[in-house]
Amino acid sequence: MARTKLSPQNHGHTIQATMLVHDAWMRLVDDDGVSFENRAHFFSAAAEAMRRILVESAIRRLSKKRGEGAEHVDVSEVEIIAPSGTDDELLAVHDSLERLAAVDRGKADLVKLRYFAGITIEETAALLNISIPTANRYWTYARAWLHQDILEARRKNN
Amino acid sequence: MPDIPHLTEEEIFQCAAAMPVFERAHYLDAACQNDPALRKRVESLLLSHESEGFMDTPISPAIQAEIERLKPEDVGDFIGQYKLLQEIGHGGFGTVWMVEQHQPVRRRVALKVVKLGMDTKEVIARFDQERQALALMDHPNIARVFDAGMTPSGRPYFVMELVRGTKLTEFCDEQNLSMIQRLELFIRICRAVHHAHQKGIIHRDLKPSNILVGMTDGVPDPKVIDFGVAKATQSRLTEHSLFTEIGQIVGTPLYMSPEQAETTALDIDTRSDVYSLGILLYELLTGSTPFGREVIENNSIETIRRIIKTTEPKRPSTALGTLGDDALRTIAQHRHIEAPRLIGALKRDLDWIVMRAIEKDRNRRYDSASALAEDIARHLRAEPVVARPPTLG
Repeated sequence: MARTKLSPQNHGHTIQATMLVHDAWMRLVDDDGVSFENRAHFFSAAAEAMRRILVESAIRRLSKKRGEGAEHVDVSEVEIIAPSGTDDELLAVHDSLERLAAVDRGKADLVKLRYFAGITIEETAALLNISIPTANRYWTYARAWLHQDILEARRKNN
Repeated sequence: MPDIPHLTEEEIFQCAAAMPVFERAHYLDAACQNDPALRKRVESLLLSHESEGFMDTPISPAIQAEIERLKPEDVGDFIGQYKLLQEIGHGGFGTVWMVEQHQPVRRRVALKVVKLGMDTKEVIARFDQERQALALMDHPNIARVFDAGMTPSGRPYFVMELVRGTKLTEFCDEQNLSMIQRLELFIRICRAVHHAHQKGIIHRDLKPSNILVGMTDGVPDPKVIDFGVAKATQSRLTEHSLFTEIGQIVGTPLYMSPEQAETTALDIDTRSDVYSLGILLYELLTGSTPFGREVIENNSIETIRRIIKTTEPKRPSTALGTLGDDALRTIAQHRHIEAPRLIGALKRDLDWIVMRAIEKDRNRRYDSASALAEDIARHLRAEPVVARPPTLG
């Protein structure tokens, strides 16, 4: 079986972190020309911008990889579970997150902040105005939900 | 089997996830009785819950650190020893907080965090050069600046006396101060600036928002803030110093002297502050600066620079004469005077005093803030003023 495992550092490898965040920053500004009134505003904007950038760069890398004639990637259940921080996982979570948002907006928001912008559970709880234990429970459930949802989507596509 | 109230899928999952794996089957037997689909669903979720690696480290630590660095300060944060209590100001320059200090005394002070985009080390180094002189300033109408440093996110900050008040121009209009009251208040501001000049400190950024006025025992009490801050944070009049990365105006060149508008701007002395005071006086008397905001908004830096250096402003009375009746009436009302008398009150003495303070050539200005104050005092005492009619304007 072809291993597509990428090291977790891989995201920071191809694009310099500072450049990436700066890019995100400039896009936020292009969009609405605002400065950030408070931390909540900043974090949610940063998470949204990071999500867009990470998804775009993941798509770019994957299509490049395929274009170069890499061997067919068999994305099995094990594959999704095992490697963390891969482009495949990122895109799958991105898709699945929209489905989660449709049924549970609050948990989707929490995932977006934690997963795409790496914001701590403490900060996230403060931003969403929930307690830290609640934030932890949200994360636990959302993560399991997304994992199941991704497996289901894969099953349907195969 | 114990009686378990009807729980949702999520609630059952949460209970099961929180207990040791070997106890789960027993719990699920009870919680999902007669609902095999629910049980299957919860079991799948629990399996996913146990999956390792999934969604663990999507973001590189470098990106996380960068986002952390850019995040704005918030209530409850500490910057050095200062605890952030409340935001009290917000603008192109950055944010001002009311903070609590514990050492060497417990008190509330103001802390100004400068916006991103400045070289923090350079700002702090420039501030340090003036620290000694700033410590020697002691005047009731000057807000003390205590300290400067770097926030955890790498931005420069300044700690200063907490001043409660309204910016000068707003205060005068809200209180409808008469011409005489405005001039008396302005004289006190000139004397405070003169005190700083005698200690070797030039303000460099005198403008209404840097002069806060409160009421103490029913008497207006002005405080000049930000001494030492402008020198540390300002460079030259360039696109970079005027606009932030995201295009917001940081400083205002409306009060900037012609010598400050030079591309090099190395040779600044106390007469640069005299010019800014002159613009302030112009605004207090007429309701606007000689060059309006539209000049700043609609022109390139080059044009703004040229206007400041070469365009002769109208005399205050002339400027008021060009206004429409409604606008003039409003300005006059805020000064407790009738419109025609307002223009009359400005002609001669006050026109001349203002125009002398804002001469393009600093050698033709009052040579000190105190000389400007004295001439206004002469006018108030109905004595002849030193200022003469300008040749132009």
